[in-house]
Amino acid sequence: MTAFELDWSRSAGRRRLLLIFLVLAPTFIACGTMASILPSRGGSPLEIVLLAVFAVLFAWISVGFWTALMGFFLLLQRRNRYSVSNVCEGLGFSIENPHARTAVLIPIYNEDVKRVFAGLKTVYDSLAATGSLDRFDFFVLSDTTDPDVWVQEEEGWHRFCTEQDAFGRVFYRKRRSNAKRKSGNVADFCRRWGKNYRYMIVFDADSIMAGRTMVRMVQMMEARPDIGILQTPPAGVNRETLLARAQQFANRVYGPMFAAGLHFWQLGDAQYWGHNAIIRVEPFIRHCELPRLPGKGPLGGDILSHDFVESALMRRAGYGVWLAYDLDGSYEETPPTLLDELKRDRRWCQGNLQHLRLIFSRGFFPAHRALFLNGILSYGSALLWLAFLLISSAQAVAEVYLEPVYFLDTKTLFPQWPVWRPHWALALLGSTAVLLFLPKFFSYALALLRDPAARLYGGRLRLACGILLEVALSTLLAPVRMLHHSVFILSTILGKNVGWPTQSRDDRGTPWADAVDVHWWGTILGILWGALVYLTNPSFFWWISPIILSLVLSIPLSVLTSRASLGKAFRRAGFFTTPEETEPPLELRELAKTLQEEAPYSPLPLSPRQGFLRAVTDPCVHALHTSLLLRYKKGAPAREEARQALVEKALRSGPDSLSSKEKMTLLNDPFHLAELHRRVWELEDDKQAARWGLSQPSVD
Amino acid sequence: MTSIRDTDRWRISRDRVLLYVRALNLPPYKGLDLAVESLKRTGPSSAAESMESLRALLKEHGLDRGVLDSEGKHLASVPPLNRSVMVPEELDRVPWRTSFVQFLRRWKNDLFGKGCAR
Repeated sequence: MTAFELDWSRSAGRRRLLLIFLVLAPTFIACGTMASILPSRGGSPLEIVLLAVFAVLFAWISVGFWTALMGFFLLLQRRNRYSVSNVCEGLGFSIENPHARTAVLIPIYNEDVKRVFAGLKTVYDSLAATGSLDRFDFFVLSDTTDPDVWVQEEEGWHRFCTEQDAFGRVFYRKRRSNAKRKSGNVADFCRRWGKNYRYMIVFDADSIMAGRTMVRMVQMMEARPDIGILQTPPAGVNRETLLARAQQFANRVYGPMFAAGLHFWQLGDAQYWGHNAIIRVEPFIRHCELPRLPGKGPLGGDILSHDFVESALMRRAGYGVWLAYDLDGSYEETPPTLLDELKRDRRWCQGNLQHLRLIFSRGFFPAHRALFLNGILSYGSALLWLAFLLISSAQAVAEVYLEPVYFLDTKTLFPQWPVWRPHWALALLGSTAVLLFLPKFFSYALALLRDPAARLYGGRLRLACGILLEVALSTLLAPVRMLHHSVFILSTILGKNVGWPTQSRDDRGTPWADAVDVHWWGTILGILWGALVYLTNPSFFWWISPIILSLVLSIPLSVLTSRASLGKAFRRAGFFTTPEETEPPLELRELAKTLQEEAPYSPLPLSPRQGFLRAVTDPCVHALHTSLLLRYKKGAPAREEARQALVEKALRSGPDSLSSKEKMTLLNDPFHLAELHRRVWELEDDKQAARWGLSQPSVD
Repeated sequence: MTSIRDTDRWRISRDRVLLYVRALNLPPYKGLDLAVESLKRTGPSSAAESMESLRALLKEHGLDRGVLDSEGKHLASVPPLNRSVMVPEELDRVPWRTSFVQFLRRWKNDLFGKGCAR
């Protein structure tokens, strides 16, 4: 261990002890206050459970509060001696060592192909502008299962390489098996070509990074061989729905402070977030392959939240995992609607709960065990909040129907009078609110300290209003999220597995029917819950009315927050404005420009999205697709016959008669696809030919 | 003299061949020349015959070799393989049990010697 490593690990230990003290001391006091508020002073079994749940929840929100506060003070300092970016002082934007080659990985899974390659072009051009493009190669790693998207991806790659003259620098690989999902996709790259590179920068399909940022990351890794993973904090950009704009705003205003706070107590035990990070390839290959968790069911099988485990494994191997909290030029896109967010959370929830099985694994550092616990609590806290509210309601209802116990078994001089201390309850509520909302005030203060006019946020007043609106919106949505996260946890525990749904990355809104389908039971629960409490204990009803209101309004909330028109209206009014909107960086401007470009000319009346049809009909696309298929061996006669039957079926009944799986089978078989191509062009019947896009042009 | 039906078939063949060469990424004159040549070769015929003739012409001109790279080699979208292995890390999920088992084993070895296990 070097002197610096010893230094930071000792500092990290001291900082974590401080954090533990700051979290536990107020929790202890708050629990005492809470106990004194309760009718039996925390003496009844129900109250003991209530207090236990309260203690966990109070500690949980305290961690967030103190992390933010630490970040606030860290950002006030001019210099942080542990900041990884210190090593770049005085450096230009070139990478001296020719062996420091980096692969930029873009794992994709049924994504919007136009967006993927527009993003790639943006990053490619940005890197070219730094003059260090020759140190980077790009890999589009496809796990796509949709035949139309697969062909589109091939076309997109070929067009990009032709236009940019990027053959030999930008690669496309389609994986036949989706084993281990994204982590398996990256591991597959490592096994095939990882030895060619010292570093890899892992993207998400919607990630954008500035070339200067990527060069800086490589420079940092070169200067700090002790670092295994370096994570950047991506800023949310490019979404227009109300929900996404509020999240982008929150991410931009509060995010830097929280990131700095995380850096303060994590230092070299930070977390990898799965994308927008650079990884040292050699130790990753040696130490970070994930095993399958034994057993069936949702907590077994592939590890879904792989990033947590990979960072813990990297750290266990002796390499640091750092958060470059002060590095900008890293962007991602947030889910556009509440339903999309919940769909993603369903997957993350199962992944994080799997960590229950890893939390005591041998060799992990305590900080990473804490991060596992943190991940579990990200969703577990929802269930605890729900339990807390339900138990509180049950307690309030029980107060009405059950006669208080005035005389306990032990003899006392006076009867035990139930006492209600509203000022204590208010003080507790107030302290909880402080923990939740004070960090937002600190963020406001930080923004003003950096730019007193807050010009990039639309001005001081609009920034303040934006924070208030974001608080209101997140307060309204919190109970809906709580309810769904609780259901996710319960369904995971009960053994319901989650698939691998494609993530939506556009601004289409949520239709009313979809919202009703997802939120109807939450609405009914809210109505019943509210009615029961109001009818039995009206004074308690007002305490939980924000929760009830949110649940009752969940359907319109889900629909309205998904509207891009509403998001744009807020934008016109200057609310939720982010610096990336006020002064878009070059990369985001280029991305928008590329997305406006029209599809290339084709004489065939086929949309670019009709990938399978194009691979069958369009001679250029067909030639490209069959050229890119890897070596193909003819199979057993029965298999060949089955594929021949598919060709006949396609010709007889048209492309719509084929299932997605059958289309994939044909796309994977160059011989039968070539036969289909040939015979489609020989079709005499006009109607049959038109089904394949061969409508007759008007020549006469 | 060709019948009306033959004329229709020929028109369909013409349109099909023209559409094919339009869809090919060829210089305009080259594509049209090939289409005319294939139609001349087959005369009034079905789309299948015209397309077969066109394919033969494309082969003669070396235009049926798929997509090639700038050096005329088979196009590959991935670099040559440079394989390595990734072995899953052992994740001992019950270290307390493992420690206990190891303790028992050590204790047994101390008491009865290593050979007793066999």
